[in-house]
Amino acid sequence: MPPFDKTQLQNKPFKLRKSFATRKQEVAGIRSKFPNKIPVIIERYEREKYLPPLDKTKFLVPHELTMTQFVAIIRNRMALLPTQAFYLLINNSGLASMSLTMAQVYKDHQDDDGFLYMTYASQEIFGHV
Amino acid sequence: MNSVSPSAAQYVGGVMQDELVEGRRQQQPPEQQGSFSLSRPAQTSDPSKEATGEPDEMDKLKAKLMSAWNNVKYGWTVKSKTSFNKISPVIVLGHSYLLNSEDEVERFRLAFVSRIWLTYRREFPQLEGSTWTTDCGWGCMLRSGQMLLAQGLVVHLMPRDWTWPDAQPLTDVDFEVFRPRSPARAGGVPIPSFGSPRRPSTPEKTLPRDQAPKCSQKKRPECTRDRQAEPIHHKLVTWFGDQPPAPFGVHQLVGIGKSSGKKAGDWYGPSVVAHILRKAVAKTSVLHNLAVYVAQDCTVYKEDVVRLCDLSLSHNPSDPSSQAWKSVIILVPVRLGGEALNPSYIECVKNILKLECCIGIIGGKPKHSLYFIGFQDEQLLYLDPHYCQPVVDVTQANFSLESFHCSSPKKMPFNRMDPSCTIGFYASNKKDFESLCSAVSVALSSTKEKYPIFTFVEGQGQDYGLEGHSSNHSGPAAHILPPGKLGMSNNRRNSDEFVFL
Repeated sequence: MPPFDKTQLQNKPFKLRKSFATRKQEVAGIRSKFPNKIPVIIERYEREKYLPPLDKTKFLVPHELTMTQFVAIIRNRMALLPTQAFYLLINNSGLASMSLTMAQVYKDHQDDDGFLYMTYASQEIFGHV
Repeated sequence: MNSVSPSAAQYVGGVMQDELVEGRRQQQPPEQQGSFSLSRPAQTSDPSKEATGEPDEMDKLKAKLMSAWNNVKYGWTVKSKTSFNKISPVIVLGHSYLLNSEDEVERFRLAFVSRIWLTYRREFPQLEGSTWTTDCGWGCMLRSGQMLLAQGLVVHLMPRDWTWPDAQPLTDVDFEVFRPRSPARAGGVPIPSFGSPRRPSTPEKTLPRDQAPKCSQKKRPECTRDRQAEPIHHKLVTWFGDQPPAPFGVHQLVGIGKSSGKKAGDWYGPSVVAHILRKAVAKTSVLHNLAVYVAQDCTVYKEDVVRLCDLSLSHNPSDPSSQAWKSVIILVPVRLGGEALNPSYIECVKNILKLECCIGIIGGKPKHSLYFIGFQDEQLLYLDPHYCQPVVDVTQANFSLESFHCSSPKKMPFNRMDPSCTIGFYASNKKDFESLCSAVSVALSSTKEKYPIFTFVEGQGQDYGLEGHSSNHSGPAAHILPPGKLGMSNNRRNSDEFVFL
């Protein structure tokens, strides 16, 4: 189980907190104001035990930012060591190539509501109790 | 010859008395086998330990019970045969075997049994700073990591395609409808493979027909060469001994893991173990010509590998005795899905295991680490460390190698593979490294998923802002958009604001 913390309890996944219509509206609003930015939702993998929760969920990201840079920024916000395992999974299943730009990833994987959803996770550990 | 087949020896807690067990096992229903070590007459156990007296016997009994229990618990519960399909190839670390003839089964046996198998051990010297004298129950990922490194060292130090001349016969295997002496099969008519439409890209090393071994591997032309390599084989295994000075033993690895916040008794992940192995190889004085590179964020920075391996860039460029290029083991920790393995990566994992430069994958089933060395159809072939054996004193000359090789191949379905794993590769020189990069890139591009699971890029990690970001918080300044600017209500929760990157 993840360590007990309130934010985790308060924060249901973004998609469950808001209706599709609300999310779509939100994207439309922010896209019209900032057409050069991509709206990204980043959430902690629900069973993640080691990586800390992020203080923010919603990010507006420049098109030309690469995944490498993006990951570096998130790692930095969490103050992770370079050797600590950290993976961003798109739609909680696939890894994104680090050389891609956010625009490319967005083009391929944006949700119907207009957000790009990513989950972060470290690695599982192995052993028997 | 004693075989150390786990299924044969399990009921005596890893004590290698298989003939004895074999005899008993015939007569006993499976439910009672677990208590076998209790009822076994004392004189059949290790006679050297006979004189130790009563209280010790009790402890030993406990230990045996515990270890019998561990062996039941840690995976060897059911003595089941592994069935191999003889009409589709089985892949073992870049080599393909179509098990429809004796020759091929023999080649497969040698390939499988020659792999170094490292398992839980008990009664080893206490791990520093703890009371642990066994890694049973917690050290499986370390053991898988040791096996991966051992395979790297086999490729690094042993003759090409080396096999162990004393490899045991395979146990607990079935080759579907395979009858070696059946007259119908006498001609060894190969059945065309339709199980796997794509043949492995690596060249098969089939022996010329006239040289093919009939029934004894002693006729293999490589046999003399492999026999001569036995001292290196022995030495290599001593490096993984369960004694504090062994450079890749559990004592060293646990010690190195302390800097990653791990201690004896903890569970380990495939990424942490990759870094522990890197540090262990960097630290040891037994290997000078080998480095380990661990990829970060699913990216292999080729220039970083070059800087690690190209000795002319660093120390003693003028020293003629130093080789210009270190061999390298490349470890890539990945996560191939959230809760479960993303099925679109299966094809890619298969293609990686078909590569000759691949030295295996450490991962497992959830909570149960395994060392994957190949596959057949939709099943991964593995070596399982969850088998508690008594410690072997590798400082003794000519200690037995039998408990360091496994004769019973096991398989599990791809869809049970835990998404967290570390993939290993080996390149002996610069040219090898270049061909590794291209071969692996081809294998990686075969995924149905839009993007490959990891990539090779030119340049160094720091060129891509990795170092910069972690050290000085530079890069695009992130600031929080004040609430209200977007026309949102001010009482919205803090976490609902957009962060501008």
